[in-house]
Amino acid sequence: MLFSLRELVQWLGFATFELFLHLLALLVFSMLVALRADMFTPMLSWWLVFVPLFAADGLSTYFTAIVSIRLYQENEKRLAVLRLLWVLTVLSLKLVCEVLLCQKLAEKEQAKDLWFGLIVSPLFILLQLLMIRACRVN
Amino acid sequence: MDGQSQFVCLCPQMSLAQRVLLTWVFTLVFLIMLVLKLDGKVQWNWFLIFLPVWVFDSILILMLAIKMAGRCKPGYDPRNGSPDLRLRAWYLTAMLLKLGFCLTLCAKLEKLADVKLTFVFIPLWTMLLGALVELGLNIFPERREA
Repeated sequence: MLFSLRELVQWLGFATFELFLHLLALLVFSMLVALRADMFTPMLSWWLVFVPLFAADGLSTYFTAIVSIRLYQENEKRLAVLRLLWVLTVLSLKLVCEVLLCQKLAEKEQAKDLWFGLIVSPLFILLQLLMIRACRVN
Repeated sequence: MDGQSQFVCLCPQMSLAQRVLLTWVFTLVFLIMLVLKLDGKVQWNWFLIFLPVWVFDSILILMLAIKMAGRCKPGYDPRNGSPDLRLRAWYLTAMLLKLGFCLTLCAKLEKLADVKLTFVFIPLWTMLLGALVELGLNIFPERREA
């Protein structure tokens, strides 16, 4: 809408398939959140609700590893290393945020000291990195 | 067929950095306000917390409306770029669905309406399914070519 798909792929550094994967994970995650909130099923712990997001991160890492190995074999060593480093940084920041949020929701009493500013801090770092990358891509 | 060309950018005259800056500013302000509210540092209304979202969505809808109104100019041949109109209609629907989701979420958080979270999420799910279909259409032609 504001960005074309080509620009999004260049800016975020993720392939179209990976974007599809993360959107699908978000859809399943939101369905599980609604199920957890409305039905209040004790079987469904917060860690289970977050499984689609963790799975998407894992699959995305696997996909990136394969792409980077292929790039490395095709003698695009610099591109392979840069892509691997960027995607791993983004995914690890996202994962830290998800794990902290899940811990806050799952262990309300023990995680009282875990304030939301701390949970969202990886996203603040990610925003700065995305801004720097946008200037480079531009 | 170039699958990626199916996505239409609403504002190609702005550089990527300018569009990113616009998105970045609104996301940053929204995140800061959200964190302040969730940590109990401010007691603002949820509708006020979502102010950056309302402003950003309004800008996008305005840009979309201007682009669509451009088709009503005299001498414009509607046969040119008909996929564009379909995409823009979808973008408008997606924006309205997102607005609907945010409005019902705020109403629920403010306890103005006693609705189940499932009903709040329905516009978001519709929007996400549409986005997945659009992305899927962009992935599979590439695979057929490979």
